[in-house]
Amino acid sequence: MDNNMINKTMKKSFGKSLLYTLPMFLVTFVLISGGKPDFSNLPAALAMMVTFLFMNVLYFMMHYTGKTDKFRAILFIIFALSLSFTLINNMIEMRHSMSFSQADVLECKIPFCHLVIPMMIIPAAFTKSIIFPGSIIGGFADISSMVVLWLVATLVLGRGFCAWGCFYGGWDDGFSRFRKKSAIKKISESWRWMPFAVLFMVALTAAMTLGPTYCDWICPFKAVTEFEQISSIESVAKAVVFISLFLSLVVVLPVLTKKRTQCSFLCPMGAVNSLSNKITPFVVKIDKKVCSECFKCVQVCPLFALSKEDVKNGKASVFCSKCGKCVDVCSKNAIHFGIKGVPAGTMKNFSRNLFLFVSFLFISVFSAGSIINAVQSIFKLIF
Amino acid sequence: MKKLKIITGITWAFAGLVLMFILFPGMNNMSRSASKLPFMKINPNYTGGVVAKEIVEASCTLDIRRPVFDGLIKERKTGFVQIDWRGAVPDNIVDTIDYDLDEIPDFVITIDRIKPVTSINAVNSKVLDVGVSTPTSYGWAVRVNLRK
Repeated sequence: MDNNMINKTMKKSFGKSLLYTLPMFLVTFVLISGGKPDFSNLPAALAMMVTFLFMNVLYFMMHYTGKTDKFRAILFIIFALSLSFTLINNMIEMRHSMSFSQADVLECKIPFCHLVIPMMIIPAAFTKSIIFPGSIIGGFADISSMVVLWLVATLVLGRGFCAWGCFYGGWDDGFSRFRKKSAIKKISESWRWMPFAVLFMVALTAAMTLGPTYCDWICPFKAVTEFEQISSIESVAKAVVFISLFLSLVVVLPVLTKKRTQCSFLCPMGAVNSLSNKITPFVVKIDKKVCSECFKCVQVCPLFALSKEDVKNGKASVFCSKCGKCVDVCSKNAIHFGIKGVPAGTMKNFSRNLFLFVSFLFISVFSAGSIINAVQSIFKLIF
Repeated sequence: MKKLKIITGITWAFAGLVLMFILFPGMNNMSRSASKLPFMKINPNYTGGVVAKEIVEASCTLDIRRPVFDGLIKERKTGFVQIDWRGAVPDNIVDTIDYDLDEIPDFVITIDRIKPVTSINAVNSKVLDVGVSTPTSYGWAVRVNLRK
């Protein structure tokens, strides 16, 4: 691949990259430390500083190298790992187990995650209540905070949430990078509609049963967060389903296909975020005048968001998560981050800089708590 | 028209930037406001419903909750009633429950917390069986399945 073209247009000098990083440096410092870092707890302050500096180095590298996906993925994968680590650590400390009991459900003590949102919409409209045994406000991962976080993120980033915010996506993103070449190459792009089928099914069953059916029966990420206590045949069946789905869709298939198969085929939230891609200001555009139709972008897209037809039409489909993989691989610099309404091929640097600032700000502040916690635990283990 | 599209797009993108700036500092206020929305309460199928009657016993308090038959549009044919024992709950519980508050006992519940075994002796034909019986942070909770 001819990287020179990318370097010529997107790469910035060392000084200019520093200048572009300075606002992120200041904003993340204020937001992560709360404006007044607490140095009375030295390990915590040290973990905060390490996390903060590491994030800003990644942001600097995005500007300096002109590459996006590589540095985004590092933070994204670390976020997924550290969140699972933090969550499991909390569960073990509080309950001495990764499983939750009937009492935890009865007392509404289950942490809420964004994957429940597609299922709670119809019941909320009809019953004026939330069909999840969590806390409305206060406590760990409350419903109100998660809804606000997701709502703002999906409004601004659309399906970008799946590459810049989802604390599960890093798992299959990570496994999809294990091999240099994919072992399974031919996968029909019609599979990308599968999350809509899953969304329809879980929204309907959740409305019928007034229970979060995806969380109860399907969610593969229970393998790395928490799951129902094994106490009946039903709970055994549930465990078999989520472990099988985790191994197949999050581990094995991403390794073999180099695609984020769980996100592409199963996640109902991905379908909802695809719909919000219609209103978000940031898009991935293709300058048809420059595009040589080599279709490397189609090959590397981890979410089947680019087909040959999409490339010929000059824009990524609604499935695009704006991860930047296609942008990085394009030797002609024809594919780029853009802003809705701005013609393809124009204002490339401005659009990229603005998008990177917004999306990186979100992931860095959102992930900071989990990463700091994980770094602090590592410090405790070492020292 | 083209210029208007460009200006609108860029304005929307900057609005996104502003939204992201205020998201985390304003998180507490925004989530507090969101929690006051009319649908922001947990469904009775999870909370167990509101407490209909509170009986103070020697060492603990017995809460009989409103029977829950809540469905999506109308009430379901089957549901449950949740009973909570709060405080210093004895190892062996035997209580007579009148869940519909008609002054006629509906079932007698027996709980051996040590084994743990829970059984009911139904008086009312609408009482089906024991759904959940579990220790909780406040004592003990039981859900008895009911027919409407």
